[in-house]
Amino acid sequence: MPKSLLSIQEVTKNFAEVEALHEINLEIYSGEIVGLVGSNGAGKTTLLRLMAGVYKPSSGTVNLSNGEPVTTMRHELGVVPESTGLYSRLTAWENIRYHSRMHGIPDSVSWARTEKFAEHLDMKDSLSRHTKGFSRGMKQKTALLRALAHGPNILLLDEPTAGLDITSARTVRALVQQLRDEGGTVIYSTHQLAEAQQVCDRIVIIHNGEIRADGSPAELLSDTNTDSLEEAYVSLTLDQARTRKEDNDRESAFTGWWRRLFTPRTPKTTREVTEDE
Amino acid sequence: MSEGGFLRVRAIAKKEVVEFTRDWRTIIAIIVIPLLMFPLLFILFPVLLESEAAELDALELTIIVQTDGLPANLAENISQNSINYTIELLPNLSSLSEPGQDLERVRNSSADAILRFESNKDVWGYAIIYQSTSERSSEARYRLLSVLSEWEDSEIRVRIEQGGLEVNSTLDPLRWDGEVADGDVSTSGEQSGMILSLFIPLVLAIWTYSSAIQPSIDMTAGERERGTLEALLCLPCTRMELLLGKWLAVATITGVGVLLQIFGLLFAIGYLASSSFIGVPQLSVMSISLIVLSIMLFAIMVVAFELALAMRSHSVKEAGSILAPGLMLILFPALFTQVINLDGIEGFWFAIPVVNILLALRELLMNRVITEHVVIWAISSVFYASLAAYYASRQFNREDIVTSLS
Repeated sequence: MPKSLLSIQEVTKNFAEVEALHEINLEIYSGEIVGLVGSNGAGKTTLLRLMAGVYKPSSGTVNLSNGEPVTTMRHELGVVPESTGLYSRLTAWENIRYHSRMHGIPDSVSWARTEKFAEHLDMKDSLSRHTKGFSRGMKQKTALLRALAHGPNILLLDEPTAGLDITSARTVRALVQQLRDEGGTVIYSTHQLAEAQQVCDRIVIIHNGEIRADGSPAELLSDTNTDSLEEAYVSLTLDQARTRKEDNDRESAFTGWWRRLFTPRTPKTTREVTEDE
Repeated sequence: MSEGGFLRVRAIAKKEVVEFTRDWRTIIAIIVIPLLMFPLLFILFPVLLESEAAELDALELTIIVQTDGLPANLAENISQNSINYTIELLPNLSSLSEPGQDLERVRNSSADAILRFESNKDVWGYAIIYQSTSERSSEARYRLLSVLSEWEDSEIRVRIEQGGLEVNSTLDPLRWDGEVADGDVSTSGEQSGMILSLFIPLVLAIWTYSSAIQPSIDMTAGERERGTLEALLCLPCTRMELLLGKWLAVATITGVGVLLQIFGLLFAIGYLASSSFIGVPQLSVMSISLIVLSIMLFAIMVVAFELALAMRSHSVKEAGSILAPGLMLILFPALFTQVINLDGIEGFWFAIPVVNILLALRELLMNRVITEHVVIWAISSVFYASLAAYYASRQFNREDIVTSLS
């Protein structure tokens, strides 16, 4: 039985009146790749941010197995957010070094690790370049190198292959699996079922802020009596997906009124459409 | 703070400064502009004004003199001032100032000005018809007034003599004995302090606020908009360390800008005074220490306040539209403080935010250390700075700072 690393108990997360996550229960075990699968706005990013301690749950707990809060394990955490979060006026290495220094890792140690993984990701020659001119794929790879440079035990990856070409995506997937084989734990958020099936040991399907399924690909198929994960996913998420509401900000009555004042009414019929010019 | 915390704060500040200064526009904004602003204003601007004045002096002007009899010495004085004139008869008008038929002649530049001069027994009446929006016409009026004034002086002297009086004692019965400057018991250092106290607090206040706007926005709302904040918040640093690191970076950038601007100001004043160190005020060690303390407290307050407001904003645009008008909160008190009389000033002035530091700087630059005032501004400034820092820490602890509009 693998060792429990992270325990999410009865977690609900609200943003103003919007309930982004509803009574989530999830155990993350050491040495596994857990795929968080769901449509846009399902709550994957919110769950990842709760695991990283960026968000606090509205109710419930997100703790380590020893009962301590997740913020105490940030030294062991490597995060690749959806936006990559690279500083464009710094070189790739400076971006990596900055985060490693924040982890208290000597430059020589982080450089050695970076060099090793950069070779793997074909990024060694780009380490001295400013990230401003980087393609989406190169940014993703740099963010991954940055997340790995301090030697984390847990990797939180939010859509790590989004925007990558086929070869790069494959390299990233292979690297993730290699990290798992070396004993690391990876939480891998994606909305691509095929990718999750290919990479993950366990898939957690999130829909409208709820966990609809949690198990290995084979278990999901048998539980839903379906032949493919796509069919399984559809059968588990029959209700209409909500739109992303997590980032909605509370708006004052005056701000709302002012905004509406300058917002034309959306026409309901062709006859109602008027030309602006 | 632990050693690790200190190292993280330093790493954040260093990264922010490095990243910020890699933009060449930033270097211009924080180094070149502050350094050159006052020298350009005080040295180049007067040079430009002088060259413009010399150009005006060289102009040959055309005027018309309408008179019923121009005194010969006055006519001579007019022609000696690069003025070509023709004489006409006075028109029949209700007053000499009424342009009448001559309005168009001045407006269409057929004459730069018209001098009307009428003798009336022992006094003369005169008026100048000119166009204030024309430089030639204004210059013609200026030269005519100078000539008339000189002529009037000589006429006064002649009349005093004709009356049998001594001219100098009649015109100047009260005279200062000796050098005027000898009567001032203030030292030159104190005088310099007085002059500088009218500039430096104003410059410090406005420049501290305005030069902190761009880095504050870039390091908060900018990070939020670019999506770099989320990765940072996942690192093992507290939000307070993040705030301290960013505060340190903004304060460093702002401090460099303010110092360079003061250096430029002192250089310009020194140049104008044509002496190197006369413009340096005589300050005690206590005054200098208190000046440094007051500037630090002001910077803590302003930078923390700006960081907090920028962090509240969801985008760079929103932060800019909040912070830029905020300059008025500094500008009005700064201008108002310049006219407050420091002699016998009531203590409560030193408890008003912004005003307290500006008044403190004015007093200290004049080497006046008044314990009661120092205690009031120090306590009130620590309170306001703490309040701003607390407000900033609350903003940095908000969960929604990780999200942005983009």
